[in-house]
Amino acid sequence: MRIIMLGAHPDDCEYYAGGTAALWAAAGAKVQLVALTNGDAGHQSEGGGALARRRAAESRRSARILGVSWRTLDFHDGAIVPSLEVREAVIRAIRDWRAEVVISHRPNDYHPDHRYAGAVMQDAAYLVTVPNICPDTPRLKRNPVFLYFLDEFQKPAPFKADVTVDVDKVMDRKWAALDAMDSQVYEWIPWIEEKLDQVPAGAEERLEWLKSDLGPVFRRWTKNHAGALAGRYGARHAAKVEFAESFELCEYGSQPDRAEVWKIFPR
Amino acid sequence: MTVKSKFDLRVIMIGAHPDDCELKAGATAALWAERGAQVQFVSLTNGDAGHHISGGGELARRRMAEASRSAEILGVDSLVLYYHDGELQPTIDVRRDVIRAIRRWKADLVFTHRPNDYHPDHRYASQVVQDAAYLVLVPNVCADVPPLEINPVFMYFPDHFRKPVPFIPDVIVDATAVMEKKVRSLDAMDSQMYEWLPWIDRQLDQVPKGKTERLEYLKKFWSKHFRSSANEFQDLLETRYGKARAAKVRYAEAFELCEYGRQPTREELWNMFPD
Repeated sequence: MRIIMLGAHPDDCEYYAGGTAALWAAAGAKVQLVALTNGDAGHQSEGGGALARRRAAESRRSARILGVSWRTLDFHDGAIVPSLEVREAVIRAIRDWRAEVVISHRPNDYHPDHRYAGAVMQDAAYLVTVPNICPDTPRLKRNPVFLYFLDEFQKPAPFKADVTVDVDKVMDRKWAALDAMDSQVYEWIPWIEEKLDQVPAGAEERLEWLKSDLGPVFRRWTKNHAGALAGRYGARHAAKVEFAESFELCEYGSQPDRAEVWKIFPR
Repeated sequence: MTVKSKFDLRVIMIGAHPDDCELKAGATAALWAERGAQVQFVSLTNGDAGHHISGGGELARRRMAEASRSAEILGVDSLVLYYHDGELQPTIDVRRDVIRAIRRWKADLVFTHRPNDYHPDHRYASQVVQDAAYLVLVPNVCADVPPLEINPVFMYFPDHFRKPVPFIPDVIVDATAVMEKKVRSLDAMDSQMYEWLPWIDRQLDQVPKGKTERLEYLKKFWSKHFRSSANEFQDLLETRYGKARAAKVRYAEAFELCEYGRQPTREELWNMFPD
């Protein structure tokens, strides 16, 4: 199985699907995490090329921990638009990876880069099979299955979990992958959320802080999709799961039935 | 305002590719045209990516010729614009072309895709037509072409996508009497019906060689699609045609009213469409 995840920024795939990526990789699947932007706007005191290089290094460390490949399409952070240029870069990335599964944001997530990444994935969903589009890169013979990362927005429609993955077994690795992105998890995100003063100095202490800060969010994801979790794992197993990641099937691209979707994803 | 008879109407259908209007509304267009309404099919792209062997200008010319042959069979006018296939974007340039096309045709009714159909070109064609829905009235927009005095009624072609909302038909047309004509209009688009679409659907090997045989194949392949509207929207069919006639309808085409543009009552809307 070959999977490509298209996040808007270096840290999005890791945040929404790091556990699932690690489980897939452990089972022998080939996973590539792509950051459409290089993340060069995501800091309060750094920026530009220097920040992009720092975040690329963080992402590669993080990818090694998860056992996956990583690349960026190098667009500027905060400047993704659903242009032909971005679409073509995404079509080429999906084809280069010979992806069978493609995952990106829903087109109504909070950040415009997320929304346009979602729109661009949708726009690529049929065109990856058309040989006259980007004729420099061989087309895919099979249209991949396209899915969305979870989000909590309700309009025009809320996220609906078509598949939920118990990631408890690899949660330590997901935490380590996020911990490797210190420009984000210990600097930028706490700063923009006005809690930079809460971040401890020591390496162990700040990882503990990260878990206490993000843990409730990740547990809420589990709770909000407890029904889907129980559907896939059975109620008894589901009741014991602390961390789960959920995905929604996109209507564009191949349309597997529920049993097929569940088979594609790791357990 | 004066109420036009349904056969004095001027109808413009705006698809993304040469074959979209024909597939989604060819029968309704033929019924209108047979009784004197003026129908124009517009393809926003020239279709120059829709083939596995051919492409570019050569393919665009072939498809433009096919579109005119097909339009002649249906009794409608054909206009193919010049945007590249697979690259349609909701830009101001495309919007202006659409505004001008609607105004020049003096359209009473405008059709296009829904903004959540499967192909990005369909979605963006829809967005552009929605964007034009009010602006066709505004004299300072595209000041080179006189604005319309009455806002047209805008309609969507059907599709099967459900997010964020499914297609809900507001009007349905019995297409049984002109199905033969519709299939012949598709037969005229051989680059698509016998080459590209079967290839991308992995059934090129099922297309017969002989002319009669492949027309039979085409009829068989598309009938199930054209029957599906009649089956799915049986209730609406019965409301519009009555139970007795609805039971005899084998093929139907359904359309949804767009919220932008003129908002006719249901009776007014149904009176505009052929029955």
